[in-house]
Amino acid sequence: MRYSAYRIDRARLIEAINMLGPGFDVRVAPHLETGESGPGENMVKTFMFPQPEVLFTFKKAPPTADDVDLLREPSLPHTTTLLFGIRPCDARSIHLNGLAYEEDTYFWHRIEGAIIVGYLCKTVLSTCFCQRVGSGPDDTRYMDVVMMDVEGDHDALLLHGITEKGMIFLSQELGPLLIKCGGAKEEIEQSLGSRQYPKDTNTLDTLLSSDLMALYNAPFWDQLKDGCLNCGICTFRCPTCYCFDIQDETLGAKGRRIRYWDSCMFPLFTQHASGHNPRGGKIFRVRNRFMHKLKYFPDRFGAISCVGCGRCVRDCPVNIDIREVLDNLLEVARS
Amino acid sequence: MLEVTGQHRECQEQLRKRARDLLASGEIAAFIGYGNGSLPWVPRPIVVRSPEEADRLVWNSFLTLNLANYLPGVLKELEPPRRRGEQVDPSTLPRVGIVATGCWSRNIVIQVQENQVDRSRVHIIGISSRGMISRHSFKQALGGKEALKIVENDHEIEVTLSHGETMVLSRWEYVRPNCKTCIHPGPVVSDETIGPPPGRRLVDERFREIEEVEAKDSQGRWEWFEEAFKDCIRCYACRNACPLCYCPTCFVDDSRPQWVGKSIETPDALTFHILRAYHCAGRCTDCGACESVCPVGIPMRLLTKKLIKEAQMLFDWEPGMSLEEAPLLGSFSPDDPDIAILKGGEKGT
Amino acid sequence: MNWEPKIIAFLCNWCSYAGADLAGVSRLQYPPNIRIIKVPCSGRISPNIILDAFLKGADGVWVSGCHPGDCHYISGNLYARRRLVLFERLMEFVGLEPGRLEFSWISASEGEQFAAKAKEVTERIRVLGPNTRLRKVF
Repeated sequence: MRYSAYRIDRARLIEAINMLGPGFDVRVAPHLETGESGPGENMVKTFMFPQPEVLFTFKKAPPTADDVDLLREPSLPHTTTLLFGIRPCDARSIHLNGLAYEEDTYFWHRIEGAIIVGYLCKTVLSTCFCQRVGSGPDDTRYMDVVMMDVEGDHDALLLHGITEKGMIFLSQELGPLLIKCGGAKEEIEQSLGSRQYPKDTNTLDTLLSSDLMALYNAPFWDQLKDGCLNCGICTFRCPTCYCFDIQDETLGAKGRRIRYWDSCMFPLFTQHASGHNPRGGKIFRVRNRFMHKLKYFPDRFGAISCVGCGRCVRDCPVNIDIREVLDNLLEVARS
Repeated sequence: MLEVTGQHRECQEQLRKRARDLLASGEIAAFIGYGNGSLPWVPRPIVVRSPEEADRLVWNSFLTLNLANYLPGVLKELEPPRRRGEQVDPSTLPRVGIVATGCWSRNIVIQVQENQVDRSRVHIIGISSRGMISRHSFKQALGGKEALKIVENDHEIEVTLSHGETMVLSRWEYVRPNCKTCIHPGPVVSDETIGPPPGRRLVDERFREIEEVEAKDSQGRWEWFEEAFKDCIRCYACRNACPLCYCPTCFVDDSRPQWVGKSIETPDALTFHILRAYHCAGRCTDCGACESVCPVGIPMRLLTKKLIKEAQMLFDWEPGMSLEEAPLLGSFSPDDPDIAILKGGEKGT
Repeated sequence: MNWEPKIIAFLCNWCSYAGADLAGVSRLQYPPNIRIIKVPCSGRISPNIILDAFLKGADGVWVSGCHPGDCHYISGNLYARRRLVLFERLMEFVGLEPGRLEFSWISASEGEQFAAKAKEVTERIRVLGPNTRLRKVF
């Protein structure tokens, strides 16, 4: 068995990452260096959903040629993307989005060509709530390699391959650049112990068994919407907001079809060609975002579409807090 | 948690009392103000609909959004449904109370000028602003740590961080630049005022930020613009936080013709910001809401401030100072400076 | 290098377009870099339109209408004058090269002035080179 476990200095690890071959598109989370708590910038979202994503390009046919390449799909990259140091919440977002993007070639090409090196959280921020949505700061699911701090030694990190892909990467690519350290294997096993996720399925179970219309018609939505600006900060910051729009852009005789982020907070999101808008008012849009994450998505895929990273809580300019919305919904569900 | 002492505390008590009285007497049906939220540095705009709720209202130095933004929406919400074209006597419609500082009240004036708000339906409680704290520089001051509790007095802000650490910041140092150089901290229109009169501001330095950019050459300005604006994620928070932006369909949502591409590519993002700023020409009061809400720290306020400077130089114009004025770009004078002769900065004006 | 500047000219129907017409019938030479788009009035020109031209690859934009006081619609060009002066100042502030945007008042009888202005604008933009700022490419 290709078991791989390493103990390494932070600075030396970063050096080793920089020495990896050109076959890797390396993206290192800033907190790997700083050790800062919290999910940090959302590099996983921009990796999953680059924008604009060119789906194909096209051009006007010259009048004479009959075999010209009018439509062309972009060549998908062959490099392996290394997402180094992402937090358990962000790693989990890849899994949750994968449920909705089951048949999306572009999405899966990227994900399958990526190695997720997760970094467990030693401490959390006051806005983190991963435990409430079926995960936790030491959730190692959805990672290829897990990385963690060593108690009492700020400079040391433990690395441990979880999936086949992760083990191969660690033992063949990164491993030779690192110095093996005796006892790391035992230390990791002891540290990880027998962790099981999801620990708390209470929230999910309550939401699943609740009556959709009772949640939809709950009175608190009316107050919640008052402050909302209907901007897209929460959706664009959210690692599990995956909605997109598609447009054809043309420039002279050529053009391209692009996919880019859209937000259910924008009126245009649901605007019909007839002019009618089923979510014309602010309240409908605010409600939809939370209902989708906390009820519609769980009903369909069996998981809450929120990883508890708290980015929306921190960045919302009017302090709409999904944790309070969740409390309110659970209260309605239980009554 | 956010606690206040001193002048702001007094304002807060009076504000609660007045809002409670107005709601209890039935003079107004709703009151727009700020309440506490789940994070101490982000107060939450709220609409108070009963006298009992008036105690939720707060007043402090972290109120960076412009409440005028909510006024047309709340007024409309209180109107009974009516048929298309049906005329209603505004004096029969429910009234709304709102608290307003200088710039917020100037934005209400503009909303009245532009027929978005009926002055007779609004009860304005004016409070002179002492300047609001910049969320961006406040965050920076904490150096990546989290504020768990804030206690504010007249000149200092005491922040409790995680692990029980505390930090004391001088309030004025973190006040937003637009507030520091504000020409009108006190309300322009109001039905009553509370709190002390406005203090003096650095009005001489009003356009210093603009002059710093103007001092660069064309290439330098372009590099500054591209660098400062390229991170835009097109969340439109700047647009939506702006009390001037009430168009039913924004130019960015037009699809035939489509004025600006939808993705975050630099030319599209820059075009969006130029047009957004231009739409505020002659109307922007430099309230700073756009810049405060931006999640990536884009200084879009400088574009609108440049327009304020030009409008003042070319047309001697200050937006939102009087209910009787016609909008700057909705009017003209035969003596206006002539664009075909006048050229911009570099050609010497 | 055989780059030639592309200049979009928005000319009002009543004065400047007629001025261009007069330049044509009078056989006055002016550079073919000017692509004319006829608009009802210079007051019709919104900054959206000007920026759209730059985004799509114009190297310069020229807006021309009736002389102030001569507007077919009485005051369209007077509104335009206020709006466009602020827009021009904003564009220069964000680093658009001075001279890429041109404004003029040309009447229906000013064919010569039209041709002269067209030459002046073309030469100025030729010196500035292709528009790279604010131009969308893919």
